[in-house]
This record gives sequence, structure tokens and C-alpha cells, in this order.
Amino acid sequence: MFAWRLLLREFKTGDVLTLLIALVVSVATVTGIGLFVDRLQQSFEQQSANLLGADRSVRRDDPPPQEWLTLAQQNNLETAQTVSFSSMVFGGDGLQLAQLTAVSDNYPLRGEFLTDERQFGAGQATADAPQSGEVWLSSRLASLLNVELGSEVRVGEKTLDVTRYLVRDPGSATSAFSISPRAVMSAQDLEATGVIIPGARVRYAFLYAGEADQLEQFDEILQPRLAEGERIRTPVQRGERIGNTVNRAESFLLLAGTLAVVMSGVAMALASARYVKRHLTQFAVMKTLGATPKRLVSLMVFQVSLITLMGIVLGSVLGMLVQEFIASILGSLMTAGLPSPSLEKLWLGATTAIISVVAFCSPLLARLVQVPPLRVLQPNTDFKAGSASLFVFGLVGMYVLMVVYAGGWRLPSIMMVALAAVTALVFIVGWGLFKVSRSLSKQATTGWQVGLAALHRRLVSNLFQLLVFTLIIMLSLVLVGVQGNLIQDWQAQIPEDTPNHYLFNVQELQLAPITQYTKEQGITSSEWYPMVRGRVTHINGVAAETLFPERRNEPEIVERELNLTWADQIGEGSTLVEGDFSAEGVSIEREAAIEANVGLGDELEINVGGLSYTLPITSIREVNWQSMQPNFYLILPKTVLSDYQANYVSSVFLDERSAPGFYRFMADYPTVSMLNIGELLKQVQAIIAQLANALQIVLAFILGAGALVLVASVRATLDERLEEGALLRTLGATKRVVRQALLVEFGALGLFAGLVGAAGAELSLIGLQHFVFEMAVTLHPILWLVGPLSGWVIVTIIGVFASRAVLKVPPIRLLRSI
Amino acid sequence: MQDTEKQSVLTIKQLNHSVATANGSLDILKGINLEIKDGESVAIVGASGSGKSTLLGLMAGLDQHSDGSIVLYDKALEALDEEGRAILRGQHVGFIFQSFHLLPSLTALENVMLPNELKGERSAEQRARALLASVGLAQRLTHYPRQLSGGEQQRVAIARAFASAPKILFADEPTGNLDSKNGALVEDLLFELNEKEGTTLVVVTHDPELAKRCDRQIEIFDGELKES
Repeated sequence: MFAWRLLLREFKTGDVLTLLIALVVSVATVTGIGLFVDRLQQSFEQQSANLLGADRSVRRDDPPPQEWLTLAQQNNLETAQTVSFSSMVFGGDGLQLAQLTAVSDNYPLRGEFLTDERQFGAGQATADAPQSGEVWLSSRLASLLNVELGSEVRVGEKTLDVTRYLVRDPGSATSAFSISPRAVMSAQDLEATGVIIPGARVRYAFLYAGEADQLEQFDEILQPRLAEGERIRTPVQRGERIGNTVNRAESFLLLAGTLAVVMSGVAMALASARYVKRHLTQFAVMKTLGATPKRLVSLMVFQVSLITLMGIVLGSVLGMLVQEFIASILGSLMTAGLPSPSLEKLWLGATTAIISVVAFCSPLLARLVQVPPLRVLQPNTDFKAGSASLFVFGLVGMYVLMVVYAGGWRLPSIMMVALAAVTALVFIVGWGLFKVSRSLSKQATTGWQVGLAALHRRLVSNLFQLLVFTLIIMLSLVLVGVQGNLIQDWQAQIPEDTPNHYLFNVQELQLAPITQYTKEQGITSSEWYPMVRGRVTHINGVAAETLFPERRNEPEIVERELNLTWADQIGEGSTLVEGDFSAEGVSIEREAAIEANVGLGDELEINVGGLSYTLPITSIREVNWQSMQPNFYLILPKTVLSDYQANYVSSVFLDERSAPGFYRFMADYPTVSMLNIGELLKQVQAIIAQLANALQIVLAFILGAGALVLVASVRATLDERLEEGALLRTLGATKRVVRQALLVEFGALGLFAGLVGAAGAELSLIGLQHFVFEMAVTLHPILWLVGPLSGWVIVTIIGVFASRAVLKVPPIRLLRSI
Repeated sequence: MQDTEKQSVLTIKQLNHSVATANGSLDILKGINLEIKDGESVAIVGASGSGKSTLLGLMAGLDQHSDGSIVLYDKALEALDEEGRAILRGQHVGFIFQSFHLLPSLTALENVMLPNELKGERSAEQRARALLASVGLAQRLTHYPRQLSGGEQQRVAIARAFASAPKILFADEPTGNLDSKNGALVEDLLFELNEKEGTTLVVVTHDPELAKRCDRQIEIFDGELKES
């Protein structure tokens, strides 16, 4: 087949190869980042699932019906069960109320227990669950009972051996308010304890795990079988605490990938432009030889399709290798191994290739078919280039690509506005500057003048070159800026001394001695908040049951009994958004208000200890839940709550040094409940550290790709510059003048591109911070320095390398070779 | 008498051609009338910028003329679109250019095969080999244009021009880029093959020697035709 033979012949010369390389790099970048992001997402889902102990859980007051188990098995899902209850544990010195969980053998379905053989040890992952006859006690419970490994303890009528200290069980975070010290035992021993009697407060959890499709199917089967108040919990809901962090990281990676796509687009357009430039006359010759436009179109379509296909295959393979490489760098930093990539994500690379070819290559390649045959006789024959339509095609293509890649319109729209603004800026300001440079260079005696004059002489091609430089620099700066913001933000989120233990059920009399102890020991603690339980029954006089029939779509403030408090001041970790905190009314947390669709002035009827109070909402607070301070959805006026017997709550930060002493001290206050969230916090911090690393690697990768595009864009216009340099030398210009001219031309381009790029980056960052990352908008003065400086340095270095050929080779050889 | 028996292959009547410039329309060719018969060799001479190459381009259907009529092998060019003109060129027309215009990505052999490959003919290679042998390049089949001298490149171009067995050959300054020795060689080859294949030849040239070897010489002066 002729088209195939022609393509093979073209390959030998390298022009088609350049195009193919651009395509392969584009597909590989998108595939590499796409697959890597997918693996990270999967990894976070898994880690969140680890917090839940399964992919899904349903908590209820009765054992799960046999039907559920059968149905789950039919759907190829694994199931496990846990039974949580409070009971006295006897052993050593005495007895202690503990929160026990009896687990089935295969628990947990996701994640692992963390246990240790030393009291208060950091813990190691333990794959299995406690066997029949065993019990794992939390270090605190063991220290309260004064027992060690190998001791026996009694739960109800069953005696169990203490075989491990429990540091964390995967489901521990699910019961944030199970405040007593914890222990885990085997479900097989449950009956023998005899503690599960009718009327006992017992929580059953039905857990299941499996493939995504099957999970979804089973969720639908299970949903109608749930009793009132029961719901299917998913890892995402569980992982809310880290959700925001992960979301932002995903947004960043999406942004990075999107910008990589844009860069690849630029690279492909450059490669196509070079290909077209070098083939215009050839196509004209083929026309004179009788090739009809139809024939040439079918030739082109065949060749482009084939190149696209090759680009997709090679790019996908390379992309897989790239993501494997990134993952292997990151692997050593990750606490858990990354799951393998989902191959269905490969469509992303293929789609990118096809859209890129259609948007960036085809319009340019179409010019080849339009070339008038007369060009063979009159090489300067001009023909309608349609630059404007090329541009529109490219921009639309870019937008479509970004939308496909980011899966939304917000990020692409912000970037598009910024790109369009920068393009306009480049053309308007660039045109003006080049004109000025013309007036500065009326004579051509120094390299400066020759260089400045060249800026104006190649006005159009220099403007395009400038645009490419500017876009690449801008995109790189955007990524650097966002990444810096994110990492700064994350580091500020969970400072080292974030409280890691909550103290509940503290009586008023116990406040003074505990406060005194923490002060003496230098333990950081938050304020004491009184806590009274209450329930929202009516909103604006309408009963909750009427507002939410069958409890559907119930907001959280109505769904369950809430912890209520009063406070004189708004407290650490909260900020006032609206209203007056000191007014005689309810202060509500912002997200809760949005969920319940209430605002300032709306009235809530709250039932506290059997009495109802109707209060208007007088202020709205924003709460930073990551501050780990005791926080409340609703804060009521002191006059309402002060007559009730309140328990107090606070949070403290304990490190390895202060924890044992504090635990022993607290043994004197057995009614006080303590919740250790240190492990959870550590996990969150580990995830954030991993994300920061991942981001840095992806950033480095894309900056590298950007540099390559920059080099390619200089190469695209190199021939012209070399020719001019050679001519100048032939006409007697010294090496110094030629070198200076090239340096001035490239330096000016780089400097200006860096400056406009910085402006574009700042503009994009403002939009991204506000709309995508939902963080405070900050300015980035450093970009205004880094942008022009890096633009100047990088472009000049490329220019120096390019000019070496002009300076070393005899001009005649250079002129002949062009 | 003999001339009238021969069929007319190219007839130009009242041809005018102008191009748009920044300062308005510029007339390049004015009131040209010309008839070329089968097997004739015609030289078009004239000063630089007189409109020789433009006329050649119009005769071969590489461009559309402003006014008048050009009939090439019974087809009025003004009635054909680009597709139709390309088909006509493929069927009847061969070209030789001053700057050779070989495709740099193709070898000598592949360049000569190209016209027939474009037509989808299977015997392209055999004929190309024979033609290259006849221009003395049997040993350079796999060489790329950049590996050939100017004279050799033009010989490949001649072989390519004759590859599709055209009935009419248009040559634009075929020796213009060559030294006298190579120029003479190319000239000889051109006329030799022309005679052998019975092709009609239209040559634009500055070279009086080359012009003299043609049956007729036509001079263009300031866009108007003057037969000498």
C-alpha cells in the first residue's frame, strides 16, 4: 500500500518521528499521571477502608439477619461481624468498666490490628484476630487492672488470657464516643461470658468487603432492608477527617495532569508546525505530479491515524513504566504498598492522543493539502493560512482535553481564562515591545542592535515563540505555587502538639486536680467545656418528623442526640462567620446550618432533660475539626444549660514521655473516660506526608516535561536563526556580534516570557485557590522573581547551545546544510 | 503543411492574468494567444519578471488564470477545479523544475516511482529503474537527494518527469541551477528522452543555447507574447 510505504520512507528521515515522539510523550505523561493518581486514590480509599475495618459497615442494635449474610455471600462479598458492649473486666487488683469488642475470626476485612508486646508500645501490624480464649487489652486497661501479658482476666463468666496489648483496632475510630478503655476478644467466647442478656446495651456491626461493582449491587439490595436509623457507612464518610486533604491533593494532581496535557498539546502543535513547514513544497510537488486533493486527504488521514495509533500504543506502554517509576520512588516512603493501577484508565491516554491530534495536528496538517501547486514555481506563493481558526481550534481542543481530564469544568475554565488573558497580553505587550526594540536598533553595529532588530524582524514567529515560552513558564509556576500553598497549608493543619486525647465525663469537682496535674507536668490541654445532652425537635415550629418524613435526608443536628455546651468565648479552633456570639441564642456550626438549611433568625426547639427551649440562631461559626479541640454543633446560652448537671470535656496532648504518668494519675478517676485519637492523628499525618511527597515527584516530572517542550520550541525556529547567524558571519560580522545578537534575542524573549508567565501564574493561582482548593487567597511575590529569572536563564542557555553551531562551523557549510 | 496535420495539444486564447497587490491589481500577462502542437518543442524566453514562469504555471494548470481560455488536451482549464486539474496533470503532464524539487525523504528510485505510485500503478518500480539507468544513475538508486550532486538530482528529476509517460513536459529553467558541463548533460538527456518518448516539450529558459535547440522560441516582453 502506497500510503504505508510513504510513511515508512518518511520515518527514516525523522520528521514523522518528531511528531510521533511528541505524541508518545503526551500519551505517556497523561497515562503515567492518570494511572498514578488512580493508584493514589485507590490507596486512600483502602486506607479509609482500613479505618472502617471493611468496605462497608452497618451498625445496629440486633445481630444481622441470616438473610443478609446469605445475600452477601451470593454477591461474592466477604462478611465479618463485631459485637461491642460495655462490661466489667475482672483481673489483678480489681475490676474496671471496659468497652469490649468481640470479633469474628476473619475480622478485619480491611486494614489490620496494631498490637504490641510492651505496654504503651507503638504497635506492629497484626494480621489475625484474637483466637478463642484470648483477649487483647489496651495498655490503659491493663494498667488500670494492673495485669500483664500472660495474666488472666474475667469477662462475665469467661476467663481469658491476655496475649497482646491493643494499640489500635481498625474499627476503633468508628466508635469515637466509646470512651472506656478498650479490649478485643473472639466472638466465639461471647456466649460463654453470659453478659449478652436481653436489655443489655449492645451494638452489632455487619461488615462486608469486595469488588466495587458487587459492593454497589449489594448496597442496593441491602438499602430497603435497613431498619429506621440504620445506614450503610462507607470509607469516604469515615475518612472525612482526611477527606479534605485528599481532595485537595487529588485536585492538585488533576491540575498537574491537566497542565501536562496542555504542555503536550503545545509540543504537538510545534512538532506539526515543523512537519508542515518542511513538507509544504513536497506536497506542492506531489500535486504537480497529479496527486488530487482527495488522494492527498486520504493519504494524510491514513498516515495520521497510523501515527496516532502508534502514539497511543507506545505512549501507554511508556506511561505504565513512568507511573511504575514514580510509584517505586514513592513506594519506600509509603506506609502501605500502592494498589496496582486500573488498566481501564488507559482510555485517558488514548482520548488525549485523539483529541490532541484532531485539535493540534489536523488543522496544521490540513494546510499541506491546501498548498497551491504553483508553490513549486514560486516558493513565496502565499495561501490562506487561517491562523485565527488554527488558534480557535487549538484553544477549543485544549479546553475539551482539560474537561475530559479533570472531569469537571471549573478547573479548565479557570485555566482557560488565564491562558486566554496571557495570550492577549503576550500579543499586545509583545508587539509593543518589539516595536520599541526596533526603534532602539536603527543601526546594526553591535550585537545588541542586531539582536533587538531581530526581535522585530521575526515579529510573528517571535510572538508565537514568546507565547509558547510564556505558557510553559506560567504553567510551571502555577504548579510550583499551588504545591507550595498546599504543603504549607497542610503543615499548618495538624501541628506537632495537636491534642491527641479527649477527656469525657469529668465531674466539676475533678476539674481542679486534673488541671493542676497537667499544668505541673507541662501537658498541653484545651479549655474545659461543660456538656449536656439534648435533641433538636422542631425547626421554626415545625416538628422534625414532619420536616423529614420517615427520617429521610435528616440533617445531623436532628438525626441524633447532640452534645450541647455553653461558652463565654468562641474558643480555639472556631471562627465567627455571621451574627453575634454573645447574644442570647444558639450558635450553630456552619456546615450543620447549611445541611439543615437554617440561618440567622431561624428558631430551633431543643429538648434538654425533658424540657423544651425555643431559641433563635444568633451566630454561625466555622469550626476547624482538625484542630482536635472539643467542638460542638450547637452552643447554647449559659442561662439555659447552667441548671443542668454537666459533664466536662477537654482535650490534651500526650507524648510517649507524659502518657504513662498521666494514665496512672487518671486511674484515680475511674469514672473519667479517655479517648486516644493519637493513632488516628498519626495516620492522618502520615497520609499528608505521603501526599506531599507524591506531589513533589509529580511536580518534578512535569517541570522536566515543560523544559523539554521549551527546548523543542527553540529548535522549531532554530534553522532560521542559524541561517541568519551564518549570513551575518559571511558578511563579516565577528563571532562576538553574532553571539551577542543571539543572546540578546533569546534573553529578551526569556525575560519577557518569564514576566508575563508570572503574571499569568498569579492570576491562575488566585482563581485556583479560591474556586478549586477553597483556601485563602494569597499572593506569591516569589513567582515574580523566579519567573523572569528562570525564563531568562533557561532560554539563554538554550540560545548559547544553539549559537555554538553558528560560531564554530564555517558559514558556507552551515548555509549549505540548511 | 506537416504542422497543420499535427494535432493541437495546448491552445491559449486571449489569456489575461493579474494578481492583487497592496497597490491594486497588477497585470502580469496580457492578451496571450498561443497554440502548441503534438510533439513540438517550444522555448519561452524573456527577462526576469516578464511573466514566463507564470505562463508556464497557468498552462500546466498549477494556477487559475484571471481571464481568457486555456485548453489542454481538449479540456478547458478554467472549467476544471483543483481536483480535475490534478487528474489531468496526472494523465498527461510532466514537470522539471529549476530547483529539482525531489522529495528529500525518498531515495532516487522512490522519487522516480512516485508519479506512478500516486496513480496506483504496480509496475512503477520496473519503469523507474529503467529510466534511472537511461539517465546514467543505475548505481545511485538508493541514494537520497542530499547524497547526490546538483546535476545528478536534476537527472533524477528528468527520470521522474518521464516516469508517467507524459504527453507534454513543462520545464522551468531546467539548467538554471547547474554548471555548464552538467547543464549540457541534462540538456542532452532532456532532448534525447523527449525524442524517444515523443513528448511535447515546453521550456522556460534564460539559456539561448537551450532555446535554440527547440522547434520554436517565444519571447515574453512585459507580459505580452512575441514569437521569434
